[in-house]
Amino acid sequence: MSSNAPTAKHDKANVADSKTTEQPLSQDKKPAALEEDDEFEDFPVEDWTEEETQIPNGNAHLWEESWDDDDTNEDFAVQLRAELKKLGK
Amino acid sequence: MEAVLEPFKQAYATGLAQPVAEFLSPIPPGRDPGRLYDFYRASNDDKIEGEVRYALKANRKTRMSNKEAEAWIDLIVGYWRAVKQIILADEAANQGRLGDRQYLAVYDTWKDLTSSFIKHISGGSLPPWAIFTLYFTANHFRRIAIKADEYLARAKPATSVNSFSDDIVVPQTARSEKLEEAARVFNRVFALCLGDRNPDMSESRKWGVYCIANLQFKTYFKLKAISLSKNVVKSIAAQSDLPPFHLYPRAHRVTYRYYTGVLAFLQEDYAQAEKDLQEAWDSCYARSQKNKSLILTYLIPCRLITQHAIPSATLLAEAPGLARLIGPLVSCIKKGDLTGFDNALAEGEPAFVKRRIFLTLERSRDIALRNLLRKVYLAAGYDELKEGQTDKDRIRKSRIPLINFATALRMGLSGEGSGQVVEDDEVECLLANQIYKGLMKGYISREHAMVVLNKKGAFPGTRI
Repeated sequence: MSSNAPTAKHDKANVADSKTTEQPLSQDKKPAALEEDDEFEDFPVEDWTEEETQIPNGNAHLWEESWDDDDTNEDFAVQLRAELKKLGK
Repeated sequence: MEAVLEPFKQAYATGLAQPVAEFLSPIPPGRDPGRLYDFYRASNDDKIEGEVRYALKANRKTRMSNKEAEAWIDLIVGYWRAVKQIILADEAANQGRLGDRQYLAVYDTWKDLTSSFIKHISGGSLPPWAIFTLYFTANHFRRIAIKADEYLARAKPATSVNSFSDDIVVPQTARSEKLEEAARVFNRVFALCLGDRNPDMSESRKWGVYCIANLQFKTYFKLKAISLSKNVVKSIAAQSDLPPFHLYPRAHRVTYRYYTGVLAFLQEDYAQAEKDLQEAWDSCYARSQKNKSLILTYLIPCRLITQHAIPSATLLAEAPGLARLIGPLVSCIKKGDLTGFDNALAEGEPAFVKRRIFLTLERSRDIALRNLLRKVYLAAGYDELKEGQTDKDRIRKSRIPLINFATALRMGLSGEGSGQVVEDDEVECLLANQIYKGLMKGYISREHAMVVLNKKGAFPGTRI
């Protein structure tokens, strides 16, 4: 079900749907443009390999691991320490 | 007619669903924009059936049974009739007089084509792969139905429908008549897949279950009848003899997991939602930017709730649009900036509500608060070292005056004209809540006006 020629074609179908082409079927030049569509798109191919799921920098470090704890000079930390010092007096 | 059917024969000879679906597409290929027009011009209403029959049957190269040939003839004729309406609609559009009636003719003929497909597949006239060709036809049907509803809505302006009503449900239902009709057609296709009794799995229509389910999800979401999707999920879960999920193509799996994840998300079953969305994310086609962004739209709020995990810049960079939307909120959570959080939430409210993530994001204020309290803990520093201890042994102060937390909250909240006053009782209440939710470990000693934190893991999962 997947080969490259059909893929290109299928892309075309998607493009046509978002009405950015000038090809004949896009009869909606004027109409109240579809409210920006949040629909999950058809993938351009049916299946792909594990490698093709990887984003350029790999799938590591996608969630924050650093807590910037060393950054004691961060504005708020400095202010906070100043305020707390006042309390101590 | 011979010449224009040649592409069909070539497509059919591949034995693959997609090439045949391309032949039967309502959109001409980019390399041959005049294809629909040529196809339409090659015949006329009276002759089309005879000509297609002659072209298909005279040429034995295709080697199909008589029964199958009759089915394809019916489909190709149905397709020709739809193409004719598409061309007429096109011409009308070029002359600026395309109305709802002309577009409805496109809708009706395409609906006929889809129904014929269902009829021939359930009658066993077509090869097993035809179910996927039907999927493409049905997907076009969905788009045509959406467009038909738009033309109908324009022909019957909403003002006349609801001028005396502020109930937005009225115009909404009035506008999706055709898509609702299409939804019923998709139900039939779904049943056709799910209920296939062919014991030979390699020829089973059960392979079409997930792609048709996805079509139904898209339709129900568009119709704002999301809860109907649950029936689809239940039917699939109840069908014990489907092929193993991991054997389906990734396009089917990722889309299915995205929708089941969003459904779980909307039911606030965040653990399930995270599992499904993570699976969708992990297998998503790297170049499908929009889909990745959609998955993250729900996965990020989900993980904020389940894991208190904050997306890294690397992750947000994968979805620039989403980063613009929730980036400010995320950075406030990270900094423990409550006022900033409230402003960012208010700022993004319309967009968050539209994507149905507002309530979930609102709950992540707890994480922002946790991060603020954590700073108070860090600012308190360490207990003095006893004799013989080195820096390595030092322990953070675990008894922290309530007033320290109150001070931090007042700095974080009352500042910058937020107009919020934080009472002492409220501070205790916020702290108690954090302890109750497991975001902070320890207890409040009211007698001493102190918070006594665990010496180990005062703020679980945050390295202290």
